[in-house]
Amino acid sequence: MRRLIRQGEHEINHILSGEDEILPSSGFAVTVMHAVRRQAAAPPPIPFPWKRALPGLLGAGLAVALILAEGVMAIARFGRTSATAQSSSPLPSLMPLVFHGRTESAAIWAALALLVTLVSVKFSMRLATDRAQG
Amino acid sequence: MSSSDDQADVERVLAGDVSAFEGIVLRWQGPLINLAYRFCRDRGRAEELAQEAFLRAYRSLAQWRKDAVFSTFLFALATNLYRSELRRIPARIVSVSLDSIAEPADARAYDGGLEDQDRDLAVRRAVDTLPAKYREALILFYFHDLNISTAARSLGLPEGTVKARLSRGRELLRAKLPRLFAVPHLKEA
Repeated sequence: MRRLIRQGEHEINHILSGEDEILPSSGFAVTVMHAVRRQAAAPPPIPFPWKRALPGLLGAGLAVALILAEGVMAIARFGRTSATAQSSSPLPSLMPLVFHGRTESAAIWAALALLVTLVSVKFSMRLATDRAQG
Repeated sequence: MSSSDDQADVERVLAGDVSAFEGIVLRWQGPLINLAYRFCRDRGRAEELAQEAFLRAYRSLAQWRKDAVFSTFLFALATNLYRSELRRIPARIVSVSLDSIAEPADARAYDGGLEDQDRDLAVRRAVDTLPAKYREALILFYFHDLNISTAARSLGLPEGTVKARLSRGRELLRAKLPRLFAVPHLKEA
């Protein structure tokens, strides 16, 4: 059995290593060199404008940090409120404090988010226009 | 093919002489197209893949560390590209069920009624139907003249992994081509 398997493997080795070679078509090297030259002539990719983007990125980071801090504080407040409510009332309000009387602050955050989006869109469009003209 | 020719051409290209890349293309077009052909079995696509491999090589010439020969760098880059491209758009290999493969009645009877071409085709089709990781190991192993370490470098895998995949690949081939191995039911035997 082992001998038969070896024989079969030898057969497969013989077949797979003896595959016919195909020749490149006549214009292949020319086509490749044409593509290479085109690529060499293309302008290098535009680097990311870190200097200009840094203030925006810092501002966005700060905003995210503020939102997270506000969220954590709201959760902590809710925890305290629900603990107090559980001890004083048999049917505590299921609506957390966050949703009571907070529509104004939610609206402010939404407006701020929209404003940041608008500014970043305008800013990136201006950058792209400057690049295209310059 | 001399590795010093490759090194000289690479240095010229990196110094800004784009035309020096032609030497690399002329030296390696055959191997790169043939390797691609073994992956996709389509001549036109093999040339497209090889062209993309050359373009990628041109872009990343500066990353070639000269402790390895240029061909190792080039084959690893091309193999990586071919594998990912064929995962993205699989080759239109004639998908035959194993039962429909015209397996030879007696593979060892060279002087009998067996057509060598049919036998070779059956084996290649069986290889094409293997799962990618075994197929790739077999393709690279046979392409590099049964050299496991070169195949492993091209695949970017440890030699042990390639050996294991070759062994499993051959096992699957034996199961797919029982008559070639003259073992009717290998698992039951």
